[in-house]
Amino acid sequence: MENTARITGKRTATAWKKPVSYNLQKKTRPTEAIIQAFLLFCGVVSILTTLGIVLELGKEAWLFFGDPEISVISFLTGTEWQPKIGKFGVLPLLNSTLITSVIAIVVALPLGIATAMFLSEYASPKMRSILKPILEVLAGVPTVVYGYFALTFMTPLLRGIFGNQNVDVYNMASAGLVMGIMILPLISSMSEDALSAVPRSLREAAYGLGATRLETALQVVLPAALSGIIAAFIIGVSRAVGETMIVAIATGSGPNFTFNPFNAAETMTGYIARISGGDLSYNTPDYNSIFAIGLLLFLVTFGLNILSRAISRRFREVYE
Amino acid sequence: MRRVFTAVLFIAVLSVVMAACAPTATPTPATAPTEAVQQPAPTEAVQAPVDPFDINPADFSGDITMAGSSTVFPVSEKIVELFKADGYEGMGNIKLDSIGSGAGFERFCTSGETDISNASRGIKDSEIEACKAINRTPIEFRVGTDALAIVVNPENTFAANVTLEELAKLFSNEAQKWSDVNPAWPAEDIHRYIPGTDSGTYDFFIEFVMQKVFSKDTGEEIFLGAANLQASEDDNVLVQGVAGDPYAIGFFGFAYYKENEDKLGILSVDGITPDFDTAEAGTYPLARPLYIYSDAAIMKAKPQVSAFIGYYLANVSDIIDEVGYFPASQEAIDAAKQAWLDAQP
Repeated sequence: MENTARITGKRTATAWKKPVSYNLQKKTRPTEAIIQAFLLFCGVVSILTTLGIVLELGKEAWLFFGDPEISVISFLTGTEWQPKIGKFGVLPLLNSTLITSVIAIVVALPLGIATAMFLSEYASPKMRSILKPILEVLAGVPTVVYGYFALTFMTPLLRGIFGNQNVDVYNMASAGLVMGIMILPLISSMSEDALSAVPRSLREAAYGLGATRLETALQVVLPAALSGIIAAFIIGVSRAVGETMIVAIATGSGPNFTFNPFNAAETMTGYIARISGGDLSYNTPDYNSIFAIGLLLFLVTFGLNILSRAISRRFREVYE
Repeated sequence: MRRVFTAVLFIAVLSVVMAACAPTATPTPATAPTEAVQQPAPTEAVQAPVDPFDINPADFSGDITMAGSSTVFPVSEKIVELFKADGYEGMGNIKLDSIGSGAGFERFCTSGETDISNASRGIKDSEIEACKAINRTPIEFRVGTDALAIVVNPENTFAANVTLEELAKLFSNEAQKWSDVNPAWPAEDIHRYIPGTDSGTYDFFIEFVMQKVFSKDTGEEIFLGAANLQASEDDNVLVQGVAGDPYAIGFFGFAYYKENEDKLGILSVDGITPDFDTAEAGTYPLARPLYIYSDAAIMKAKPQVSAFIGYYLANVSDIIDEVGYFPASQEAIDAAKQAWLDAQP
């Protein structure tokens, strides 16, 4: 600052006119300070909230594991979950969470990437301007609506195809399929961003070498955008793992250790929703168990997020 | 900027002025008349006519908070409807939650949030103690009788009657398939739909079916250890499950069966079908009493709660069959009415 002031001073000194003094000192702007403080506050609040959640979950889960009848190992390896009679094996809940999430990803990933590729590589700008908002409408549908869509549309459809005796009224497959539809816009829009970010020069080089549009898209653009697509995939998985309303409505309300997606089974989130809706007494193992499950759920999604960051950093291709 | 500042200042001044006025202006005139109206008037009104249960809901206002059994819920809901139709002013001030008997007592005795607790089982000693700890003495009012309905899918034509032993076995971890209980039944997995572990219906079934047939210690474990078990505090979830599943079996209050008669089949137990006569006579083995609970101090402090309970007892027997349950015996209702009279200030 002083430096520039001196330079200006010199220039004005050489000028004919009377030197004009500019006050280039840092001006104190109170509103600026307030805004900065406010923004800092916002950032700190979100960090503190996260910390608070982790602390609270940890504290209550500690109470649960502090019970002499419950050990972390039996919690993680037991295959029966009936807190009322002292059976605390989380595997049935975890298993059903994984099955519904895998079904959701199997639906959403190929469809999402194909949609993204169409939008970014093939669609004319006009078509894209119509298709994209329509796709984004899906993202705005409340999950409770998806839940009833699964129960009253998808389940009867599955039962019609595979037979009433093979498909339960409440089952994991219908919730998983509908969850796939729910995360489709998330995956397609994140993948499309990744694909569009690939520099035009790469495509032009491929065309120049005689590649077709499909070859360019599949062999040049897709690998180049891989890091973004993997990140989209992992965010989709963690969204599916944490989804509550759809599974609470459509997958059933009894822990069940089964690998058959047409059976009813309760997911971790579904269990938490059901138990907390029934007003349990505080400080009973049943009540504390929902925090232990919550903590496990948090660790799973947290781990997935870290993985997604690590992968997108590892595979990032920097072109410019 | 200045305009905003003046607006803020104006609001601040306004709120200070209002806050200053409020305490001096409202309480003194407001409390005095209500006390004057509520103290002498009702006592006179109670003494003058012969029937103290001739309650006019239009004379009362204020909030009433109720929670508890999902079985009793439709009865209380109906009474609330009538209470409002008869002129109760406090529209929307009656809060009624269907959360299960156990959770209902939790709110009534532990957190003390509710005025009335609905229950499909008698209060437990531990719950009475919890109530005492917050200076509440629960008073029991019998309001009706339920015959627990054992329901199956309408496509189920193989089972029409079960014995109590068969019923317990159907819900035990000892039977995987229907044929395990009775060889005449198909070799298909039993799909069980039960009320949540916090409900009075669950407790009743454990006590009067599982523990009776097995033993007191093992009944619950055998029950919860069974496969294909769906538990929900929401009876409609159970109705939907049984209605769509040919090898399902479930149980809940009779009213939920009545409401969905076309979608469900019902089993007789030990040869007895649940209906008015068998529930009243107590020959149906799964007939059980329905209650509401309150406390004399609450009824005194909130005349509207007392009036509501009086109105409930006076009318419940006339409407309960509409809801799908059965009236309690005259003696039981008379005892409840006496308890209400005793609780009057």
